[in-house]
Amino acid sequence: MNNNLVEHFFRHEYGHLVAVLTQKVGFSHIQDVEDAVQNALITALESWKHKGTPDKPHAWIYRVASNNIIGTLRQNNRRSEILEQKLDATESIDETDIESMLSNEFKDGILNWLFICCHPSIPIESQLVFALKTLCGFSIKEIAIRLFISEANVYKRYSRARTYLKNHSNELSQLKRIDHSIRLSAVNKVLYLIFTEGYLSSHLEHSIRSEMCEDAMRLTTILVDNPVGKVPESFALLALMHLHIARLPARVNNNNELLLLEQQDRGLWDQNHIHQGLHWLSHASVGDDFSRYHAEAGIAIEHCLAPTFNQTRWDKIVKCYDLLEKTSPSALHRLNKSVALAQWQGSEVGLTELNKQNTPQWLLDSYQYHAVQSDLNRRCGNIKQAEISAQIAMEMAPTPAIRKSLSSRLKVNC
Amino acid sequence: MTMKKYLCVVRSPSGKCSPPSPSQMEEMYAKFNAWKDKFEANIFDMGSKLGDAGKVVSQAKTLDGPFVEVKEIIGGYMIIEAESMEKAIEVVKESPGVGSPESSVEIREMMQPPME
Repeated sequence: MNNNLVEHFFRHEYGHLVAVLTQKVGFSHIQDVEDAVQNALITALESWKHKGTPDKPHAWIYRVASNNIIGTLRQNNRRSEILEQKLDATESIDETDIESMLSNEFKDGILNWLFICCHPSIPIESQLVFALKTLCGFSIKEIAIRLFISEANVYKRYSRARTYLKNHSNELSQLKRIDHSIRLSAVNKVLYLIFTEGYLSSHLEHSIRSEMCEDAMRLTTILVDNPVGKVPESFALLALMHLHIARLPARVNNNNELLLLEQQDRGLWDQNHIHQGLHWLSHASVGDDFSRYHAEAGIAIEHCLAPTFNQTRWDKIVKCYDLLEKTSPSALHRLNKSVALAQWQGSEVGLTELNKQNTPQWLLDSYQYHAVQSDLNRRCGNIKQAEISAQIAMEMAPTPAIRKSLSSRLKVNC
Repeated sequence: MTMKKYLCVVRSPSGKCSPPSPSQMEEMYAKFNAWKDKFEANIFDMGSKLGDAGKVVSQAKTLDGPFVEVKEIIGGYMIIEAESMEKAIEVVKESPGVGSPESSVEIREMMQPPME
């Protein structure tokens, strides 16, 4: 029996089929397509249990899902012969051909879907949820867990995107190359969000985080493989993802506790991803385009290439933070910059930089800000201030894992 | 030791529960395959899923199924081979079919006809 399904076969298959079939039958039928695909997967699960996984699992599910959707449309008296011809076209070809046809068609379908999701009239948070549900195959509940928002909120965001797309289904089929270029930045942004939601959410167990990171990387890889995505901005984004994923294995110790950069075993960093990151970064370094992804990849590559924490080229990192600040200003970037500056020119310089800024309330409400305050003050000898900030940081820490990591870093007894 | 055959009938609660997500299906399929590999020697017939509709026929009349209680449905069957009921229980206990709290599996030994 053949059990060798690729990892996340069901989840990815769901995304691919929803994207490809909806584009064939029209956006107004998206709900029917989602049900048809869901049922096809359940049929596969039941049937394969008894007969084993078929040799051509993609083609198998594609057939069942197509038949399901034809059945539903017939039942609803929305029969359209053109539609059926489109779907029946696969009947006469043998399964090997379907598999190879699918792999190309799927890539185009997925990509086109991404551009559809990123419609400028849909709010970015809805785009993100819509992509996670339809392209990555996560359920509403799974998305709620991953984004730390309620299921009702996820559903609201999701329906907002779906309703918009359903009501504008006529325009969608005529998405032109020109729209692709205009929307490319929005597509990059959604991919970046899928990635960072996975990477930064220290609340989540490792496997959940890496799942989202890998999905974002998978989709970005498809993007840069297509003429529309062959631009420096997308290359830089893919580089950034590889360089972050490279360091994932070293971020926690055996007890699943978060480790600081200084404590990480650099031997565990994935050299293959580092090489991939370098490769894409070199592709990204042509032309005049300098995006936030360039700056972030620039920071990540410095960390990846430093043989030890102390040999890190902090000056280069500070420079990248300055560039990042120019392309996308944020108080969080300035906070990070002061940490890098403290490493490069000493704690006092870092602390002065931090204190001369206007810190917005949202940053004052985060444990990160107070942790940095505590650390820099302690290193400057302001023990009292360091302890006050440490207490605030500990109280704000969202999870026990983070609290534990803070208490060792800030030398607090708890 | 001679192997005996056991008929296993899977009962699940009726009523619609929310369908599994693709991630959950992945997990279910992986668990199932792991179980199937482990007890390959004991699985005689993977059986099948049973349809929802059912009737009970007796001398007097034909009754509508389901047969046990309205609350549960018979979802599927399979035939396993084991040297004893204890071993059969062990195989079934580890099967993903009994994974969900409300499901149960009834095991009945299938008596062999006496040798002529």
